[in-house]
Amino acid sequence: MKIYKFNITLLVLLFVFVYTPLSWAGLNVITTTSDLASIAKEVGGSLIKVNSLVKGIQDAHFIQPKPSYIVKMNRADLLIYQGLELEVGWLPVLIEGSRNPEVRLGQRGHLDISTNISRLEVVQGTVDRSMGDIHPFGNPHYNLDPENGFIIAQSIFNKLVELDPENKGEYESNLSVFKQKLKKKISQWEKKMEPFRGAKIITYHRVWSYFAKKFGLTIVNTVEVKPGVPPTTKHLAHLTALMKHEKIDLIIQAVFYEPDFANMVADKTGAKVLTLPAFVGGYPEAQDYFSLFDTIIDNLTSNLQPSS
Amino acid sequence: MKVFYILLIIIFGSSSNVWSSNEFEDLKRRIRVLEKTKNQNNSSSSSTATGLSNRLNPALSVNGLFLGTYNDKGNYDSSKVARTGMKIQEVEIRAAAYIDTFLRADILLAIEGTSNIEVEAAIVEALLSKNLSFRAGKFFTAFGKHNQLHTHEYPFIDLPVVSEEILGEEGLNEIGVGASYLLPTDWFSEFTFQVMEGANTNQFNARAGSDFAYLIRQNNLWDLDDETTMELGGSYVFGKNNLAPSSNFDNKTQLVGADLTFKWQPAGREAYKTWVWQTEFIGSFREQTQEGWYTLLQHQFANRWWIQGRYSGYTIPNGANKEDKNQWSALLAWVPSEFSTVRLQYNHLNQATADENQVLLQLNFTMGSHPAHKY
Repeated sequence: MKIYKFNITLLVLLFVFVYTPLSWAGLNVITTTSDLASIAKEVGGSLIKVNSLVKGIQDAHFIQPKPSYIVKMNRADLLIYQGLELEVGWLPVLIEGSRNPEVRLGQRGHLDISTNISRLEVVQGTVDRSMGDIHPFGNPHYNLDPENGFIIAQSIFNKLVELDPENKGEYESNLSVFKQKLKKKISQWEKKMEPFRGAKIITYHRVWSYFAKKFGLTIVNTVEVKPGVPPTTKHLAHLTALMKHEKIDLIIQAVFYEPDFANMVADKTGAKVLTLPAFVGGYPEAQDYFSLFDTIIDNLTSNLQPSS
Repeated sequence: MKVFYILLIIIFGSSSNVWSSNEFEDLKRRIRVLEKTKNQNNSSSSSTATGLSNRLNPALSVNGLFLGTYNDKGNYDSSKVARTGMKIQEVEIRAAAYIDTFLRADILLAIEGTSNIEVEAAIVEALLSKNLSFRAGKFFTAFGKHNQLHTHEYPFIDLPVVSEEILGEEGLNEIGVGASYLLPTDWFSEFTFQVMEGANTNQFNARAGSDFAYLIRQNNLWDLDDETTMELGGSYVFGKNNLAPSSNFDNKTQLVGADLTFKWQPAGREAYKTWVWQTEFIGSFREQTQEGWYTLLQHQFANRWWIQGRYSGYTIPNGANKEDKNQWSALLAWVPSEFSTVRLQYNHLNQATADENQVLLQLNFTMGSHPAHKY
C-alpha cells in the first residue's frame, strides 16, 4: 500500500517534469534594480528579455527573497546587479536557491556593475556596525549620477557581446544611440540645474550623494542619525538648529521612506519635504532612465531657490 | 631670458586653446580610472557580507541568545526546560565558504547553556546539474516549516508544544544525505528527498545505524499578487523504530506534516509593515498516535516593532499515554537593527497537571557576516 502511494507521487512528479514553460530564443536577463533593467533594455533592444526584481517604489535594501524570484533567476541567462552590498540581505539566498549554475559568482552570467564604477564614500580605516548600516565598499546609489549611465551601459554591452557575439552589431548600434541620447540629455539637465549649483539640502538617507556631486548640490546632513538608523530627538534638534542657521529650506528623500521624521523637522524650520524617485518607476512618470532624471530635476528645480 | 618666458607663454597659451573636446573626454576618462584604482584596495572582494568569503577564509558569524524566564509552576523540577531563572539559551558559531569550484560548506557549532559544544549542522552542498542540488552531513531535515529553523530564527522564543512533544527539543536534526529539485513549473515548486539516520529518540531511536529513515517533501509557493504569497507544503517520513516493547521487533514510524503560510508586505513599505500567517499540522503514527498543530500570526506594525500570537495543540488520542494539552502565546518584539532583537513572550499552558503561566524575555544578536534571511 505504501509502495503504491509512493508510485503515484512519482507519476505526478513525472508529469510536472515533462511540462516545461515556453522557451525564449534570446537572452533572458534579470536585474535587481529597475535602472539596470531600463539601461539593459536600451542596449539589448529586442534581442533580450529583461525583468527587474525590485520595483522602483521599493527599497532595494529590504527586499524579501521571495521564492518566485528564485524561479525567475532559475530561468535567467544573465544576472545584473548593483553590488556594494545594496542587495546583500537577499540576493545570496536567491543565487543559491535558483540552482542555476550560469548566474553564480564567477560565472559568465553574473555581472556586478559596481566593479566598473568610481565609488563615493568608500570607508577608509575601521568599519564596524556601531556606525550603522554602513556600506564599507562605497555608496551603492551610483545609478543617480547620469554619467554612470555610460558605464552601466558599456558594462552591459560588453557582457551581452560576450554571451551573444553574433549580434554584436545590433548591440553596438543600440549602445551608440543610448550614449548619444544620454549625452544630449545630460547637457539639458546640467543647464536646468546650473542656477542651483551650490544649493544646500538635507536628505533622509545617503541616497543622493552621486546625484549631488554631479549637479553641484551640497548635502549638509541627513535626517537619519547614522545610515539606516532613525533620528534621535537630540539629532532632530541639532538638525533644526543647523537648518535655521544655514538657511536650508529643502529636505529630499526617496519614495520608500516614511516622511514622518522629515515632516517633523520641516514643521519646525519651515522647510519643504520633497519625496523623489530614487529608481526608475519610483514615480509613475519616471518610466525609464531618462524620464527618471527628468522627473527628479523638474521636481527639484521647481522647489529649490536659485543660488545668488 | 625675457624672450624665453614670452615664448613659453605663447607655447602654453596657444596649446591650451587648441585642446579638443576629445582630449577633454580622454582626460575625464583617465581621472575616472584613477579614482577607481584609488578605491581598489578597499575592494568588495574582501567582504564576508555576502555570507561567503572571497578571500579564502570562511565567512564567520556568531549568534547569541540570552534568556530570562519566569514560570509560576514546577520550578524545582530539573527536567523542565522553562524554569524561573536566567540562562544563555544558546551561542551559535557559523562558518561558511566554498570549498572548491564544486562544493560549498556551512558549519554551525552550537553551545546550549555554557558547556557542551554540539555540531548543530555541518552541511556540504553541490549543484549536480541545473535545478538539482545535493547535500550531505548533519542538518535540520526538510520536515515541515518550523523544523528547518535554527533556534535564533524561531518566530517565537520557544517551540510550539506540538513540535516539542513530537520531534523533541532538538527537532528532526539528523545525519544524512539529500537531494532537492526545483521543478520547471511557472510557480515555485520544490521536491526534496532525504535519507537519514533514525537517531531521533522521540520517533525512531533506531537500533542499528542501517535503520534509515526516508523523507520526502514537496512545497509550492504562489504569488497571489505583488504583495501576497501563499506557500503550501507536505512532508512524509518513514522509518524503523526501536521504541516499542522488545517483543515487537519490527516497528515502523510514519511522520506526516502539512503546512500553509501566507505573507503580505505592502510594496514600497517593506521595512514598515508585514503580516505572516502560518499553520502547520504534524502527526506521528507508530504503536501510538501523536498529533497536533499550531497556527501563528505575526504582525510588524512599525519600522522596528512586531506583535505576534500563537496557538498550539497536542494530543495522544488513545492508549496508556493518553494526553491532551495546548498552549497560548503572545509576543512583542523590538528590532533595533537587522542584528539584534529583544522579545517578550507570554505562554499559557493548559495541561493535565496544573496549568502553567510563563513569561520569557530574550535578547537575540548576531555579529560578523551579514545574515541573508531565508523567506
